[in-house]
Amino acid sequence: MDLSLISILFVILAVISIFSALMLITRKNPVTSALYLILNFFTVSGIYLLLKAQFIAIIQVMVYMGAIMVLFLFVIMLLNLRDEKNLTESFSFKKLTSVLLSITFFVLIGTTFYFGFSNINPSRQGVEEKTVEIGKATFLGEKLFTEFAMPVLIAGILLLVAIIGAVVLAKKKFDPVSPDKE
Amino acid sequence: MQNLILYSLSNFIPETILVVTIIVCIIADLIIRKKSFAVTFVAIVGLVLSFVFVVKQWGLSMSIFSGMLAIDNYAVFFKLLFIISTLFILLFVETSKEMKTASHKNEHVYLILSLTTGAYLMASSVNLIMMYISLEMVSLTSYILAGYLKKDKRSTEAAIKYIIYGAASSGIMLYGMTLIYGYTATMNINEIFLYLSKNPITDTPVLLASVIMISAGFGYKISSVPFHFWTPDVYEGAPIPITAFLAVTSSAAGFSVLVRFFLVGFANTEIITAVKWQEVIIVFSIASMIIGNFVAVWQTSLKRLLAYSSIAQSGYILLGLAVVNSAGLFAVILYLSAYLFMNLGAFYVTILIHNKLGTDNMDEMDGLGYRSPFIGVTMAVFMFSLAGIPATVGFIGKFYIFSALINTNSPNLTWLAVVGLLNSVVSLFFYVKVLKHMFLNKPEKPLPELDYGYANILITLLLAVPTILFGLYFTPLLRLAENSIKIFGLN
Repeated sequence: MDLSLISILFVILAVISIFSALMLITRKNPVTSALYLILNFFTVSGIYLLLKAQFIAIIQVMVYMGAIMVLFLFVIMLLNLRDEKNLTESFSFKKLTSVLLSITFFVLIGTTFYFGFSNINPSRQGVEEKTVEIGKATFLGEKLFTEFAMPVLIAGILLLVAIIGAVVLAKKKFDPVSPDKE
Repeated sequence: MQNLILYSLSNFIPETILVVTIIVCIIADLIIRKKSFAVTFVAIVGLVLSFVFVVKQWGLSMSIFSGMLAIDNYAVFFKLLFIISTLFILLFVETSKEMKTASHKNEHVYLILSLTTGAYLMASSVNLIMMYISLEMVSLTSYILAGYLKKDKRSTEAAIKYIIYGAASSGIMLYGMTLIYGYTATMNINEIFLYLSKNPITDTPVLLASVIMISAGFGYKISSVPFHFWTPDVYEGAPIPITAFLAVTSSAAGFSVLVRFFLVGFANTEIITAVKWQEVIIVFSIASMIIGNFVAVWQTSLKRLLAYSSIAQSGYILLGLAVVNSAGLFAVILYLSAYLFMNLGAFYVTILIHNKLGTDNMDEMDGLGYRSPFIGVTMAVFMFSLAGIPATVGFIGKFYIFSALINTNSPNLTWLAVVGLLNSVVSLFFYVKVLKHMFLNKPEKPLPELDYGYANILITLLLAVPTILFGLYFTPLLRLAENSIKIFGLN
């Protein structure tokens, strides 16, 4: 493994990212959790930058950290959530099993990677060359509207369905107009 | 490029019709503002129109939207299956008391349609991105539909469980997809196959890990063990018509994409010996059959019993995939078409029982066969078909699966057929247990007879008659299956 600046930065960002993700799910106070989520998003956008995807990194900061996180924090404050109690107090066999299974899975993935990507195939170098272009918004836009037009369209329909679903699940009462209240 | 997209759109009419129908349904719902059959009627018209254009695609073989979707007989077969099942589900919803009392108007209609659209896309996607997005479309709609009865706590619980399992397994699947992309530098499964068959496969652990992780996403959709944990709770909590929809459409969509992924991307003797995905599928299928069948024996709720039964059924279908030749794929297609009629039928009879008794507990069904002979007899037909008794369509499906297993030589899979047969014996026990409750157990005090309207009887017959008819005269099904699998070019 070469110790270039990029790999050092990557290791730092990855460690912070994993740390903040762990803190996010173990904190009792939801506001603290949300703040760790912001840190997590920030490190992820840093990793995007290392991959030369400037545009996606900026979008990540603007959309997730800017819009979505503010929304999260507002909801948490409006709901006035208390600290979650009794989350980590009891010990059970189930929890032990799940922790052991997660560690096994992690080790499996780790060893797979360690022994796995042993020699670089020529086509993978092709992927690397492509990434130089990916950072530019023009390249991204062109791809999204030509080669990936279909997934973008379907994502639009998916969002429509999600909006309907949110209304269906969140709507409190029957419409007063409708007469049949069986 | 512009012309290419326009050309692709002209071959995308069935899906476009469905999307337009969804929008028309939303607008109609906004105008009508109360529960009404009109919205369902619009949906049925849209489905029939889509049916016409799907049939027109029969015999075509092309890929559209720069290798995102494929149009071929295989996709057409699945689209027809989805249309038929969606039409039945819309009728089920209309006749189900549970859905009538839901505190919603007609939202379910366009949610059901969007699940069908997602299933269409799953059946025809040949690109990993497309597979993921269409799978998410089906999942997202299923979550909403599972939690549709907001007043019922179990329904909400079902939705929450479903969404947690769904998010976890699709996350794992995405990780597997990135591994494959990192290895082959392409997301189109045809190109993945070209790359894997032309280059020596060096990093088998990575490929095996990614294949297992991708199976987590698909296995969750078809509710195969070990990704089945959501199935009993969701099936029990969701309204019964929705349960039937998940059991048939969502599961068949999962199979369509799973089969295409493996048989297009990895169906080559060298790849199979290097990546060993065949063994993975065999393990999944044996585990599904054993857990599904043995746990079903202890169930007292009919819905939970059907949930475990569908876990076991997905095990049988996976056996057909594990053979990796055209006979196995042929059996998969046959089994899925059998599954459509018998499973929908079993669920519809459950709906009818639930409408009158208000429960799906089997202890309450003592003597039901005498209170309503029609219900008793049709339930017997569907149960025997699910168990695979001759003269029903379920037998044809099982017969072809086992004969494909016995006839293959490389490797010898006869032992697998024996495992499957032994499991069928166990399954017969719990399917007949339902009938024992209906006919042999006497209720404590005499109960009044149950009457069902003509509409209910007609819908039940529409499912029961094909179950028996295709069991006796199955040549049309064989023809359909034979033509559907030609594009795979297996031996």
